[in-house]
Amino acid sequence: MLLGRNHIAIEVNSLVKKYGDLTAVDSISFTINKGEIFSFLGPNGAGKTTTVEILECLRKPTSGSAYVLGFDISKDQDEIKKRIGVLPQEFNTFDSLTVRENLQYFAGMFGSSVDIDGLIKLIDLEDKRNEQYKKLSGGLKQRLGVAMALVNDPEVVFLDEPTSGLDPKARREVWNVIQGLKKQGKTVFLTTHYMEEAEALADTVTIIHKGKIVATGTPEELITRHGQRNFLILKNTDKAAVPLIETLGLEAKFESGAGDVKVALNHSSDMSEIVRALTLKQIAFGELQLKRSSLEDVFLNLTGEKLREAETL
Amino acid sequence: MNRVLINLKASFKMFFRNKAAVFWTLAFPCILILLFGAIFSEMDSKYTLYVQNQDIVNGNPTSASENFELALNLTDAFNVETLDPTINATKYAFDNTLSYVVVIPEGFEKDLSVANATIEFIYDQSQTSAAVVVGILNSVIASYPNPPQLFVSLKYTTIAPKRFSFMDFFLPGMIAMSAMTTSIFTAVEISSRYRETGIFRKLATTPLRRIEWMLSGTIYLIVISFIGMSVILVLGIALFDVKVIPDPLSLILVATTSMLFSGMGMILSRFVKDPETAGAAANAITFPMMFLSGSFFPLEQMPEFLRTIATVLPLTYVNNGLRDAMIMGEPQRAITNTIIVAVLGVICLLAGAWITKWEEE
Repeated sequence: MLLGRNHIAIEVNSLVKKYGDLTAVDSISFTINKGEIFSFLGPNGAGKTTTVEILECLRKPTSGSAYVLGFDISKDQDEIKKRIGVLPQEFNTFDSLTVRENLQYFAGMFGSSVDIDGLIKLIDLEDKRNEQYKKLSGGLKQRLGVAMALVNDPEVVFLDEPTSGLDPKARREVWNVIQGLKKQGKTVFLTTHYMEEAEALADTVTIIHKGKIVATGTPEELITRHGQRNFLILKNTDKAAVPLIETLGLEAKFESGAGDVKVALNHSSDMSEIVRALTLKQIAFGELQLKRSSLEDVFLNLTGEKLREAETL
Repeated sequence: MNRVLINLKASFKMFFRNKAAVFWTLAFPCILILLFGAIFSEMDSKYTLYVQNQDIVNGNPTSASENFELALNLTDAFNVETLDPTINATKYAFDNTLSYVVVIPEGFEKDLSVANATIEFIYDQSQTSAAVVVGILNSVIASYPNPPQLFVSLKYTTIAPKRFSFMDFFLPGMIAMSAMTTSIFTAVEISSRYRETGIFRKLATTPLRRIEWMLSGTIYLIVISFIGMSVILVLGIALFDVKVIPDPLSLILVATTSMLFSGMGMILSRFVKDPETAGAAANAITFPMMFLSGSFFPLEQMPEFLRTIATVLPLTYVNNGLRDAMIMGEPQRAITNTIIVAVLGVICLLAGAWITKWEEE
């Protein structure tokens, strides 16, 4: 590689983890560049947490190798632990210590002289700094968890399902904090089973299913490569619109039941072309609906399962 | 070492913030002491008074001496017990740890007729009720015979037999019980809850080592056990006049007891994973142990087979050692018990440390 290996934060080669007969992680390989938000997207039980915990030096792989910031996970655990921050899945900390005391405790564990108040400000918990952990709401707890993962000023931050079980508002607040990490130049390894989360935050999304990686790329790349096309739906529109739209080189279909015309788009610019053509020919149309393809469709296409359904497996 | 101190500081903060835990850790033994103290220490509000009547003529007590005995009975303050007139009352009282003995000497009736009779009162001056008994005795003498005509004087003989009250026995038992329950329940609670809630997993991602965490946890429980011990001692000394002999062996015993049972707690929570069941399992271990190891009642009062069981219970050695060191003043006997408890303590703690995992494989 032109840049050498200095730009690589994490490198994983043919990693395998077996529990008896069950292969939780099935020979996966990937690299994560420094400064990016890398997301592992997959249902529960896909092998996300197992992989992350191997990289955090909490579990030993059955075979394969992995390097975090150039350090070998099987030999340099102490060096790695000093340089990473972790928000574990279903995070919890000392109930009756306050926000500030919890941060101080974990900073102390690292012998770190981090600016605790700066961290509290980062997660916007200034008015709760003396509140005990048990009295915080779910979203605030998760935000504290993210701050606790930063007490040692880590280069790589692992966030395992950081918004699991949160309401949409709390989820967005956690997202803001995560986006702030990228601005600070941290590498973020995010696992999630929410495709909106991967789409909103990640530079690179890797879809993992039954221990295997099924696709990697930016969210846009994945949707372009593996998603369905985007559709424009013209509500209550005359049948005559179909041949007209076909002259623009687009596939169109009249759905007699609803009286809608459904058009498969090639580019987003197709939309204005269609509207212009219909207006010129004075063909009346009702409401316009854009049906975009998402990572959900990508997952469905690649695995034959829906993310949410697969979750229960 | 710094991490051990940080963890220790956090543990104490959390302990003192949990008001219910503080209350039950410190108040439970106190409540037991007050209860048992009330039941056993002052079970009888009457004082047992032994009377030896040596004033016998032709094989029968003289009427003057009989009347005096009757007068003692009539006060209703004494349970009067009669002693054989031929024995040496002072020696008998000392040997059998009797508190109060009245001797009506030979020739009492005759002396009374010349207004110069004497009654001997042998008593244990260490008894808190001695002054009360002397007072009652004097008032009986002052009004005898009724109406008062003549004088009887009282001759005092004091004895100081080495005696142990129920509280002397009970207090070390309570200290041992408190160190045991505090240590095992806290260890079970913390180990199983931290595992269940994932705090161990979070700790495992920091440079904190398990051995540092264990060290800090052990120091924490030893200190809490010492606090419990102090509260129990203050209560026992202040309310029940227990005479405690300061001996470093008793501190070592309490510390090793705490190690023993915190190790046992860690082992338990490894096998019984959810916190509630682990707590119940700890109860199942400690509850019979309290009763079978002589915490509440002397082992000598128990049937033979229960005494055999007691010999395999570690708490028995704690109880015996603490009593030898703190109350009986027999440190050489306490050393053996201390060694037994210390060896078991180190084994349990090492086993607990070895068996406790922060993350599942």
